[in-house]
Amino acid sequence: MIERHLLKLRARDMVSPEEEQAIRDSIAEVRSFRADEIIVHAGRVMTYSVMLLDGILCRYKDLSDGQRQITELHVPGDFADLHSFTLKRLDHSVMTLTPCRAALVPHEKLEQITERFPHLTRLYWFTTNIDAAIHREWEVSLGRRTALSRIAALFCEIKVRLEIVGLTEGMSYDFNLTQTDLAECVGLTPIHVNRTLKELRERGLVQFKGGRVTIHDWDRLARVGEFDPAYLYVEEWHL
Amino acid sequence: MTRYYLHINNGGGYSEDLEGQELPDLEAARAAAIEGVRSLLSEEARQGRLDLSGRIEIADGSGNILLVVPFCDAVELRRDEQRL
Repeated sequence: MIERHLLKLRARDMVSPEEEQAIRDSIAEVRSFRADEIIVHAGRVMTYSVMLLDGILCRYKDLSDGQRQITELHVPGDFADLHSFTLKRLDHSVMTLTPCRAALVPHEKLEQITERFPHLTRLYWFTTNIDAAIHREWEVSLGRRTALSRIAALFCEIKVRLEIVGLTEGMSYDFNLTQTDLAECVGLTPIHVNRTLKELRERGLVQFKGGRVTIHDWDRLARVGEFDPAYLYVEEWHL
Repeated sequence: MTRYYLHINNGGGYSEDLEGQELPDLEAARAAAIEGVRSLLSEEARQGRLDLSGRIEIADGSGNILLVVPFCDAVELRRDEQRL
């Protein structure tokens, strides 16, 4: 059940059998959600964190005029809100973009992990730092990049993150988001996303169709998106 | 809610909207079209050109065109020399 989570962690550092068992034991419940369900409400006190097992989740904030900005996507194996362990009330909400299955990990279990497993605690701290790095990358996209570059960067990032957890087939992956979801990720309108996807397709870089991304030219797509996977810290660390 | 399809037709060619958007009524679809055009034009303006000759075709699920929104409806242009 936590295999994708373990793949994510082990792509960066060792996880001992004892640590692995502690993670397994920390799960209180597994829940299934439909698409477009809010699973963490901003401002509400959280007593557990959510580990995504299947599907795509997003962190987001709503604006007063009805617009929504998605600030990060989560793929299977991610904790969507490990930071709610220390922050309790989050400044953002979390919702499902596709049907999802998630494990709930009570904060008291996380507290026990911090007391008994200092290395695993550092590893979890490291993963929240990766989330912060992803936020910085999105900040650069939203503030400075062209529409073409924003979407190219997003497709590259998700490819690398899904590959780590074994959810790509070569240069292709399931990504069952709508154009409206994509627009909310990259700060554009659905119309603008539609036009930009057409340009990406016509340049032979990538196709997004039927909930699936197929990358035709990784090098050029990465160049257009100024994508450097360094911010995802996929290398062997000894924390 | 109704599903409206907002097809783009401008200098970049024709982009069919295969997915559509759930919106309350045609007026909301028009507002989404206007917002979309402004988003496209703002990107063009950043690159130093502005093509106002395009249009958005708003269609229903059967492919009937319900409304055509010209790009120039999305912006008010001033070209006079007067300085405030």
